[in-house]
Amino acid sequence: MTTRTRRWINNALLYLAATAIGGFAGFPILWTFLTSLKVESDIITSTMIYIPRRITFENYVAIWERSNFPTLLANSAVTTAITVAICLVTGTLGAYALSRCRFPGRREIMMSYLVVRMFPAVMIIIPLFILMREVGLLDSSLGLALAYTAFLLPVFVWMMKGFFDGVPPDLEDAARIDGASRVGAMVRVVLPLVVSGLVATAVFVAIGAWNEFLFALMLTTSTGSRTWPVGLQLMVGEFQLPWGTLSAGGIISIAPVVVLFALMQRAMVRGLTAGAVKG
Amino acid sequence: MTRIDDVVADRRGWRAMLGPLERVSEGRAWGYYLLLPSLFLVLAVVLYPTLWGMVLSFREMRLNRIDLGTGFVGLRHYADLIDDPIFWLSLKNTVIWVVGAVVGELALGLAAALVLNRELPGFKFLGVLVLLPWFLPNVVAGHMWALMLDPRLGVINDMLVNVGILDSYRAWFADPNAALFAVLMVEIWHGFPFFALLMLAGLKAIPADLYEAASIDGARAIQKFWFVTLPQLKMIIAATVILRVIGLVNSPDILLILTGGGPGRATQVLSLYAFIKANKEFNFGYASAISVVMFVLLMAFAYGYVKLSNAMKE
Repeated sequence: MTTRTRRWINNALLYLAATAIGGFAGFPILWTFLTSLKVESDIITSTMIYIPRRITFENYVAIWERSNFPTLLANSAVTTAITVAICLVTGTLGAYALSRCRFPGRREIMMSYLVVRMFPAVMIIIPLFILMREVGLLDSSLGLALAYTAFLLPVFVWMMKGFFDGVPPDLEDAARIDGASRVGAMVRVVLPLVVSGLVATAVFVAIGAWNEFLFALMLTTSTGSRTWPVGLQLMVGEFQLPWGTLSAGGIISIAPVVVLFALMQRAMVRGLTAGAVKG
Repeated sequence: MTRIDDVVADRRGWRAMLGPLERVSEGRAWGYYLLLPSLFLVLAVVLYPTLWGMVLSFREMRLNRIDLGTGFVGLRHYADLIDDPIFWLSLKNTVIWVVGAVVGELALGLAAALVLNRELPGFKFLGVLVLLPWFLPNVVAGHMWALMLDPRLGVINDMLVNVGILDSYRAWFADPNAALFAVLMVEIWHGFPFFALLMLAGLKAIPADLYEAASIDGARAIQKFWFVTLPQLKMIIAATVILRVIGLVNSPDILLILTGGGPGRATQVLSLYAFIKANKEFNFGYASAISVVMFVLLMAFAYGYVKLSNAMKE
């Protein structure tokens, strides 16, 4: 066998493996999308219909107009926005401190941010439920957003610390020599350089908050603050939601995730893997 | 206006905005001030509830049985746990669930990373596609698969019958022997991108000259994988496995959505058992006791695991 045929076979095998893995990853999404475009009689059939014979948007109209799905999405958007805002303000400052300032207890605090991820969500949910009920934050978007910071803020801090570590300290030193204060150097020199990292980390947190199910199930009880994952799950249980409608709801709710991820994946991947490869 | 004026005005503007912060930022406690907001939040929404959760496990607390009060019951919940057959079954299921998912996700993630590392045309798009499942919500992931595995309309059943693996459609989630396997399939789909992502980053960090040296020594592809790639990935595999184990033990989401622990108790795991006790029966004390046991077991595992992987490093 010549090297060329060998390489050709090699590449063919690689593409075969790639297609298998890509198919496994992508097929459920594709199938849900196809189902959302099918008419009911094309879904419930005795022989499987793969490609819809007639494309319909009826399912999208149904989930949007004949359920409280828009309200659920709006609630999720509010909760997500609050979560991201909290993380952006407190997390950015914290990550900057952990990256730039040297003080006793720094390592311990960093480790503790990592360790809190080990705590079982169920163990946190129960006291949070009682706590939120006492301070009147149960069944509110703010309360749910605060609960989300429990597991998203530590991740935010770790990812942002990686991005801050990537900015050479010389730049700040130069600004300081030019008479800038420490806070001045931070705001005017360092922050503009990590904007793309900040956006990627914020998107990561936003997706986490948008998708979250367990805390929302426990901490929201009414349509006033219930988020879409809980609402969709309850609809499936209560109304025997038809598959087409359910698929349309799924596609609508993952659309923002897919778009944001496609736009930001490069920077997000960098943030997620930075710490892992170094350590 | 000249440029100098612009700069001066600009600087005045910033001065006015940052104001007294400038002086504070020169002080020794500046780092602590920056850290304070996030530290306060983590303490308030994680540490405090966790400690309270531990205390709760020694107390009676049932929201639907106010008459029982919230008194101290000592180790009673823990004693009840030992006699609770569902607890032991859940523990067994948790082990199967975690081991099955981690092994499957690691194997598939590593395979995906090895393929993607070759950078052939079109693989960039594939890289994005492969990562996507990890960012999709559990609720949608669960229902996507529920649709595909449906006993009457499931496309996977249809495919398996067409290629001759199955004789007839199968009710995956209703069959106690198949349910855990089916849910594992969904979890592997959902979780393998995490491994693929980190393995790929690890592969890219392996110096090329190690492979060149191996080639000069006459190593074949499999030997290169065994003696160069795997040892170089060892640390990153160790780290991702422990992170994933923690995630799998602690989150019952996908099981809650797909099976609710059923059929019977075939897919009941500890985290799900605790959540159902809290969310459906409002038995907060007992649920807390289950979570504490889960946490202690997880800590013990993590400790042993880190010790072992450190020992292997040397």
